[in-house]
Amino acid sequence: MKCKECEDKLDRYVDRELNDTEALEVQLHLEGCPECMDHYDFQAHLKRVVRHSCDCDTAPVAFREKLRQILS
Amino acid sequence: MAESPARTAFAEEALTHLDTLYRGALRLTRDPDQAQDLVQEAYLRALRYQHSYQQGTNMRAWLFAIMRNLFWDRFKGSRKEDVSLDDVGEFVLYEKLRDEGAKPEADVLDKLAASEVVSAVEKLPPLHREVVLLVDVEGFSYKDAADTLGVPIGTVMSRLHRARQQLQKSLYDYALESGIVRGNGMMGPTQVPQQ
Repeated sequence: MKCKECEDKLDRYVDRELNDTEALEVQLHLEGCPECMDHYDFQAHLKRVVRHSCDCDTAPVAFREKLRQILS
Repeated sequence: MAESPARTAFAEEALTHLDTLYRGALRLTRDPDQAQDLVQEAYLRALRYQHSYQQGTNMRAWLFAIMRNLFWDRFKGSRKEDVSLDDVGEFVLYEKLRDEGAKPEADVLDKLAASEVVSAVEKLPPLHREVVLLVDVEGFSYKDAADTLGVPIGTVMSRLHRARQQLQKSLYDYALESGIVRGNGMMGPTQVPQQ
């Protein structure tokens, strides 16, 4: 696999959307290519940063209770 | 009036997904009061149409679909803002930072304030924002996201690609403005030089 092909598949690899064969090909390329591995680490890190920044909001307790009463 | 055990069980299961729905509504409306109204309406509609929910399928995705459809019903006038996603071209933050010599690139991500990341997500047009919410924040597969949004997987992938480019551009602009990076390379003044 060339770096360009790895780069094209990187988002889907980070998202765990490649099939087993494709994922293995990308994994093998990453293990032998420090630059692509660096890029992969960055993209995976970016995804975690977005997730952790946005998933800390939870529904207010009072709202949860209000819904529970409305729905029961 | 006594409620049936089936209705109560359905409501209880549906409420286990409240945080996902609330977060999604909050990011879509950008307003806590509107988010609560939207979520409440979504739950009432879900209860009304619970017969259409197939046991064993993805209830979280089903509920999210109801919520986002209500959002679009309410705010369909704003749909036109979705054609205005800035054309940032092929913007890859990693490559931008690497070309400017900001090593290691991931250090820049650790310096971004969570509020700025949220702000960058909320700046995305809703059609692109909701894909990021589903895939990046809530961890939906492309297929589940496609089913939730009622679009083909290819559409999810293309929206996600464009959304991420825009998001990375916004984060880069913020990093520049706040001095985390300098446009001509390397790190900003708040970073400690590597030994």
